[in-house]
Amino acid sequence: MGNLTTFYFSRLLGCDIFDARENILGSISDVWVQVPPHTDDEAARPKIAGIIIKSGGEKRHVQFTDLQIVKFGTKYKVQCQSLHDVQPELFADGMLLKANILDKQIVDITGRKLVRVNDIRMVAISNGAYAIAVDVGIEGLLRRIGIEIPIKFMVSLFKGRIPSKYILWDDIEAIDFSNLNIKLSKTYSKLHTLHPSDVADIIEELGKSSKTTVFSSLDVEKAADVLEELKDHEQVHIIENLSVEKAADVLEKMPANEAADIIDRLENKRAEELLKEMKKETSDEVRELLEYPNTKVGSLMSTDVLSFNQHSTVEEVLLHIRQQKPDMELLYNFFIVNSKERLIATVSLRDLLISEPASPLKNIMKKKPVSVYDDDPLDSLAEIVSKYNLLAVPVIYENNVLAGMVVVDDILEDLIGKRRTK
Amino acid sequence: MLKRNNRRRLFRNITLFLAILGPGIITGSVDNDAGGITTYSVAGALYGYNLIWTLIPSFIVLLVIQEMNARMGIITGKGLADLIRENAGVKITFFIFIGLLLADIGNTTTEFAGVAGSMEVLGVSKYISVPLVGAIIWILVVKGNYKIAEKVFLIFSLSLLVYVVSAIMGKPHWGEIGKAIIKPEMKMNTTTLTMVLGIVGTTIAPWMQFYMQASVIEKGLKIKHYKFVMIDIIVGCVATVVVAFFIMVACASNLHDNGIVINEAKDAAMALKPLAGNISSLVFAFGLFIASIFSATILPLATAFYVCEAFGFEAGIDKKWNEAPEFYNLYTIILVLAVCIILLPNAPLIGITLWTQVINAMLLPVVLICMIVLVNDKKIMGKYVNKPVTNIIGWASIILLIGLSLLLLLTPLFKK
Repeated sequence: MGNLTTFYFSRLLGCDIFDARENILGSISDVWVQVPPHTDDEAARPKIAGIIIKSGGEKRHVQFTDLQIVKFGTKYKVQCQSLHDVQPELFADGMLLKANILDKQIVDITGRKLVRVNDIRMVAISNGAYAIAVDVGIEGLLRRIGIEIPIKFMVSLFKGRIPSKYILWDDIEAIDFSNLNIKLSKTYSKLHTLHPSDVADIIEELGKSSKTTVFSSLDVEKAADVLEELKDHEQVHIIENLSVEKAADVLEKMPANEAADIIDRLENKRAEELLKEMKKETSDEVRELLEYPNTKVGSLMSTDVLSFNQHSTVEEVLLHIRQQKPDMELLYNFFIVNSKERLIATVSLRDLLISEPASPLKNIMKKKPVSVYDDDPLDSLAEIVSKYNLLAVPVIYENNVLAGMVVVDDILEDLIGKRRTK
Repeated sequence: MLKRNNRRRLFRNITLFLAILGPGIITGSVDNDAGGITTYSVAGALYGYNLIWTLIPSFIVLLVIQEMNARMGIITGKGLADLIRENAGVKITFFIFIGLLLADIGNTTTEFAGVAGSMEVLGVSKYISVPLVGAIIWILVVKGNYKIAEKVFLIFSLSLLVYVVSAIMGKPHWGEIGKAIIKPEMKMNTTTLTMVLGIVGTTIAPWMQFYMQASVIEKGLKIKHYKFVMIDIIVGCVATVVVAFFIMVACASNLHDNGIVINEAKDAAMALKPLAGNISSLVFAFGLFIASIFSATILPLATAFYVCEAFGFEAGIDKKWNEAPEFYNLYTIILVLAVCIILLPNAPLIGITLWTQVINAMLLPVVLICMIVLVNDKKIMGKYVNKPVTNIIGWASIILLIGLSLLLLLTPLFKK
């Protein structure tokens, strides 16, 4: 017997809780934890701040002072000094270890995937009890089922070891708050540090309600990147469940061709609502792209391009790029158009970088560029890209006016998609 | 604006349906696996047309349960294993999945027995057919493309309709069939009861619930697709029952009338030869072969998937071996075990079938109760909780099934 330093949450559940005079107050049915507000950021670990006690079929939400956890064999004795009831609503701030963590899926930030929590490792020190890590290994599973000790013994006979796996609290993000009745806008700050395609993979595996909550928590820029990486039907699900305003904001941040793809898959009414909500400039572009059937170049084209006049100098162009800070894709290829917006040449980023700042584009541009018409079949693209080693193919209308470009990433994605459905 | 959407609305509706099509029909087809065909054949040979009526309650219960699964999958986007783990805790989950694992190893074994049996009709030794089929299935899933395989299976499942041919060639007495459905002649004794249970039990197996819900999620279906999903489920259930009906008819009109007793589906195929002709026999064996391969592929795969899902391991055939080692190891172990058991000389097949049925019978009530509690939980299902009618049919089915399962478990005790 003695003060114990570390313990498992699963063994705490169902324990009786005693007051200072050794009276049983009830059994522990859940534990409320809160991340202390003033920490030095180093280890922001959730501290036990309250308990849900079950006594005689009734549930009490309580706070207490001086919590002590003492070990008796495999059972724990929990004792506290003063105890007072609080409003259940209070517990919505922070989280409940059983309702939100135990047996639930959480994000393993380092492993960039969803894992299921088998147990929670906790520690009690003089100023309180904290959750320090989640147990996601087989050992935790066996402990929960209650066959850890015999199995460990049997395995040790064969000189084996049962793998145990813990993830520190700093490296996890809890996701499922659906059991809390009050809808709070939870922030998933750790999740936001992941790459958009990792976030997308995680969102795809979540339950439907968590999907939308997690996605809504992303800022618009990140949300657009993540949306782009999601599978087709997941994109539709997300857009259908966001508010029209938020959905429109996110779609505006996406390349017009991607936005058009998503809108094309929505119901007409919803699509029209979104297009009205979006900035006119963007929605006009999207509407134009929507007119193309899926088999034509136009449906894949991005109307966002950098085009210049042949008399501009290299320096002017670089300055423009520096000011505009365009997306990477826009730098794949630059286009030279004449006064009637007709495509006459292309300039690559390499040409720009190795040329004298004062030289006009006219001197470095490649005339008679390879291009495709907006209503050419999609199939022609892959061949052109590989034959001419292009990162982006200019797309022109029948009258040679520059319509946009198709970038190699989208062509590749289209090809992979086709192979998958074949 | 969005003109082409309007233009293509009809086309879209059709493609949408074809895209949604699958979960119900595939689940229904896997239902008529080697074990199912055996049960229906034996019932037909033993009782003639007199047990055909059991297909009607089976159909209703199957429909109600699958609808609940589909609805849960659509609303929550979570697998049944996930939901049970999160809401019922680790111990119940563990009990269900150990049972499911054992039962499915047994089921997979009976599928390979089906492969062995059907090939023996054609004169191919089981020592050749079973390892070969096992290897093909393993390669198909681990190295190949399951999406393609699934489509092939959908077409395959159509071929189960060969039993219609087999039945009609036996010149059944339609009048008697009608009379037997309305007013069956049967003695209520333990053998009959076991047979009735066998038919209901083989139609509604616990693993199906997990499979059905997972495939609904995999398809990314939404509540607005509900109508199509229902059509899919109804088509699947009708197909299941129709195939079962014709198997029973085929065996009843040929074997029962001639007083031939059989123990295995293979026996039925063999016995059909002198009575209904070579083609009828071959057709029967072909159906058995297709059904066995179909289920032998899906069963181990599905089992490995739920077990990993419930216990938090990475799972799914879109993952690579080193990304989801537990999943692939489990899948391989189930497959290898099943193949090895069949290859044992004097494999205790009847014992395995019986024990599989017993485990299934024990699991089914637990799974169904978890299901109906979950589907009525407002926190999980929101406004899509069960309607009173569904609940009445649901609970009635559960109580009936529990009663029947208990009877099945206790019957052997009274026999001795």
